[in-house]
Amino acid sequence: MDNPLKPYPATIVKITDETPDVKTFQIVFDDPGVWDHFRHKPGQVAQISVFGVGEATISITSSPTRKGLLEFSVKRVGLLTGALHQLEAGSKVGIRGPLGNHFPYEEMKGSDLLFIGGGIGLAPLRALIDFVLDGENRSHYGQVEIIYGARSAADLCFKDDLFNRWPHMPGTKVYLTIDRPEEGWNGHVGFVPSYLEEISPSPRNRFAITCGPPVMIKFVLSALQKLGFPDERIITTLEMKMKCGVGKCGRCNIGSKFVCVDGPVFYLSQLKELPPEF
Amino acid sequence: MSVRDFLLTREGLHSWLSRLARDYPLIAPVEEEKGVITFKQVGGPQEIVFDCAPSTLPPKEWFLPSTEELFAFSTAGGGITLQEPPGPKERVLFGLHPCDVRALLALDPVFGGTYPDPYYLGRRKATIIVALSCTKPGPYCFCPAVGGDPVVAAGADLLLTESGSSFAVKAMTSRGEEIIQRYPGHFAPDEEGRGERARQELAGQLAGMFAFLPDLRGVKEFLDGHFELPYWEEVASRCLGCGICTYTCPTCHCFDIFDQSWDGARGLRARCWDSCMFSQFTRMAGGHNPRPTQKERVRNRFLHKLKYHQDRYGLGGCVGCGRCVAKCPVNIDIRRIIGDLKELASHG
Repeated sequence: MDNPLKPYPATIVKITDETPDVKTFQIVFDDPGVWDHFRHKPGQVAQISVFGVGEATISITSSPTRKGLLEFSVKRVGLLTGALHQLEAGSKVGIRGPLGNHFPYEEMKGSDLLFIGGGIGLAPLRALIDFVLDGENRSHYGQVEIIYGARSAADLCFKDDLFNRWPHMPGTKVYLTIDRPEEGWNGHVGFVPSYLEEISPSPRNRFAITCGPPVMIKFVLSALQKLGFPDERIITTLEMKMKCGVGKCGRCNIGSKFVCVDGPVFYLSQLKELPPEF
Repeated sequence: MSVRDFLLTREGLHSWLSRLARDYPLIAPVEEEKGVITFKQVGGPQEIVFDCAPSTLPPKEWFLPSTEELFAFSTAGGGITLQEPPGPKERVLFGLHPCDVRALLALDPVFGGTYPDPYYLGRRKATIIVALSCTKPGPYCFCPAVGGDPVVAAGADLLLTESGSSFAVKAMTSRGEEIIQRYPGHFAPDEEGRGERARQELAGQLAGMFAFLPDLRGVKEFLDGHFELPYWEEVASRCLGCGICTYTCPTCHCFDIFDQSWDGARGLRARCWDSCMFSQFTRMAGGHNPRPTQKERVRNRFLHKLKYHQDRYGLGGCVGCGRCVAKCPVNIDIRRIIGDLKELASHG
């Protein structure tokens, strides 16, 4: 990146409706040479431009093992995400990145992994889930368990992964829950933190990685501590308002750390060192 | 004596500045209207204010303009073309006080680092900095309290210090030496150390002229251990959230990025100064705001100046220019805040 504020021109090649307000955008760079510079790691984010509207920071939801494309799952909540949802396959966008740090996938080798996601919070986790499940990587990791919840069955993102793909992978379990009972749903009902306590996974040789709405993260973190997970094996990824994404525009700081460059991935032990301002 | 010290008569200075204004864009403090001093491009020395207290606005806009184009975009023809504006021409920035030079040194690591910002760094590289020792601290100046010195300007290419009817000139960089060599006949070598004596003499005169120098010792250490303080509510209860402190601050660098398009197919992406004093600054699209009230915002600003910048870059975030004190409509005074924090620290 000779100019970290200048996006790479790119094209949306495929759009998948995940939920009534979440779409997954598959994007490729217009200049294939960009792939030589753009080598993301699971947990990193990028800035997506809709030219004329602006930019937003979105986690890269595809694993780097899936070469030649990037996927971003975007919930329609504001101006930029609203504009993005209006676009069709073939539309031009800009991509800046990869930005931020990543999940410590090297350190996780040899351990079991427990993913706990809520709503669109599964998007950043999915990059790591697919990374550890893909090809040769699978042999480096132990059991993979995924606890995931959404408001309703319709609000579950990545239904194809949740129902058709991940449960059939070796050593992988998927636990789903929705907030309130509904017709046609035979699975678990209840909030993610209490489902986590019900399942009560052992903290032994296991990393817990969580992302979801701030309130869910808060209760999941305390549930994990109750279950005996040490702070060094509890990992989350944070969302803050960002503009530059490269530590200059000044708005995503928590204390003297910038989430865009020092995060978005933090160990609980690191979060405890920061002021509670996120 | 070092050959890096020179003397310049008052006539010599005027003649040199006239030559500089012909050869380079020359930017210097001017009195735009009564009492309002800003850095503007000038045609010659007659427009320059030589003996001002800190300018009303700092010269940071010459490095980080209040609004600047990042690139133009065009989606005509099916693809996307992005065109960055041309880089700046070499120019001379004259008359920065040592506090404003220190402020640039505080900004440099923000815009450098892992992701170098070509806009800011391009302007830094293109700018020859001629600093001017302070002769007249303003009523709100407190640079010595934050490690500054009104007659020392490390980071400038040249430092001029008024001394009677002439100016002592110190070349601080090879670029400074080059610009002296480029104008022969103006600068006489200072072989008797007159410049050094002049700076010491001036420093002695200035020492007693600061109205109020807060004692910063122990304040950062106190803030390291105390994030939650009822004191911030007290400060915030007066704050109007107008953002003038950040607008006039030479080390505030926060910006927003926005697109402007007239027909959808062509437009500009630009950035403009933003302020951590504004509620929208950290508000996310979904409505969550990690700094939801003025208390968190005021605290963030003062912690940035007194702690965060130091933590992150090893440099003070406040250079003691006093501009925020001068302009705050409700008299929030960082000097008093340092004093109050010191007081709180002493009570444990």
